Amino acid sequence: MLVKIVMELEDVPGQLLKALEPISRFGGNIQSIMHQRERKTPLGRVPVMLVFEIGDKARMNKILDELRTIGVRVTQLGEREGAVRSTVLLVGHIVHTDIMGTIDRLNAIRGVMVSDLSLAMGAPNKESAARMTITAGDEKHLRLAISTLRRAAGRKKLLMITSLEEVE
Amino acid sequence: MRIILIGFGNLGKGLARIFIDKADFLRKTHGLVPRVVAVADERGAAVDEKGLNLSKLLKVAEKKSVAAYGGGKRGKRALEVIEDMEADVVYELTPTNIKTGEPGLTHIKRAMLAGKHVITSNKGPLVVAFRELDSLARKCGVEFRYSASVGGAIPVINLARKLLAGNEIRKVCGVLNGTTNYILTRMSTEGIPFEIVLREAQELGIAEKDPTLDIKGIDTACKITILANSILGIDARLEHVKVTGIDRISSEAIRLAREGGRTIKLVGVARRGSLEVGPKLVPFGHPLAVGGTLNAVKFELDLAREITITGFGAGPQETSSSLLGDLIDIHRTLGG
Repeated sequence: MLVKIVMELEDVPGQLLKALEPISRFGGNIQSIMHQRERKTPLGRVPVMLVFEIGDKARMNKILDELRTIGVRVTQLGEREGAVRSTVLLVGHIVHTDIMGTIDRLNAIRGVMVSDLSLAMGAPNKESAARMTITAGDEKHLRLAISTLRRAAGRKKLLMITSLEEVE
Repeated sequence: MRIILIGFGNLGKGLARIFIDKADFLRKTHGLVPRVVAVADERGAAVDEKGLNLSKLLKVAEKKSVAAYGGGKRGKRALEVIEDMEADVVYELTPTNIKTGEPGLTHIKRAMLAGKHVITSNKGPLVVAFRELDSLARKCGVEFRYSASVGGAIPVINLARKLLAGNEIRKVCGVLNGTTNYILTRMSTEGIPFEIVLREAQELGIAEKDPTLDIKGIDTACKITILANSILGIDARLEHVKVTGIDRISSEAIRLAREGGRTIKLVGVARRGSLEVGPKLVPFGHPLAVGGTLNAVKFELDLAREITITGFGAGPQETSSSLLGDLIDIHRTLGG
């Protein structure tokens, strides 16, 4: 899986090397490193954004533990399950048509996770709305998740509104 | 140039006013002197080979049919005018009928067969018989222009066909209906429900009394059909477009979209293999996230990558920009 983290490093020589060591030791393959000098913290630490590929969650947790031990502060840990995501809106009788079942079906697709769900109830007997963020390991699986959701929405008579820049 | 106007509603009147206001400009800048020799509405026609007095005609048409103009003929049909009058260009500006294309379709065909160039804003004939009209125009050796049918004042078709001619157009998508865009914008900025904004839009004259064609997305689908035919070269028909309207968009849906940094727009998309109209989530700040009654069209191209243009998609004066542009273009093409 592809992982993006932001960590804060002291602005002295050798800090980056120290922070990268556990990542390489546990088999992480670093794809990019970016210093965010313009966003230096009040304590003078420099945020560094790292993107790396790692085999599984267990190794990821080992890296995070190790970083904590050596005193590197990780401030953001993003896209844990993947690199791509999409936001969709659903309108209709969402709760009564088993939204949980739909989410389970999406989560069952490899690398796919419904990472955010916001629900707005309509007035009694009116339709409600939901905003769903779907995260996936790659575009192929995201497409699969979107088409699975589209079929479910069709069955449940929900209006599904996808993003303009939808992967297709 | 001798001109016949068929249809004298808001657009016809708007164009007549522009002919009056811009007479000097057209003569000096383009060497073009539009002489309107006949105007027909559904009840009759006003004709004058030497050119009608448009100010007088507009005054007459405020209350009555153009047939009440001195020398006008009640009951004289548009087709007689098209076939009998000597003229260079016929403007077909009658109301749109997307099922049969009539009466515009017959008007356009007869005008072409009579050797007259045709300019129209009427989506009906284009949606029903694009290919037929396109080839008839070529067979008859006349010019056929319809810039005003999509995007109102925005030069969508000419931009694609002329200025972007070196590109392969991969996709065209756009906000092509001012009424629905007004409704969605008001819902998003004011948080008011759909039914109330629709009523407000009707009172302001932005939405029609029967707003079905707009809110069900059918008007946008017509424009997507025309774009698919005219700039993507697809032999598309209205029934090929998958259409979803905006009538199920609730305030709750708009609020959730906004909280996610997005707005909802009715977007039409045309590309080879897929023609579609429906509500889409558009990030704030995206070129298609235009407000109010504005329209916007985005082209995806092999060389230029992306080009988006924005402007007013309706209104008599704005649409006259396209109607007049077509006339000047024909005038130039013919070496005027």
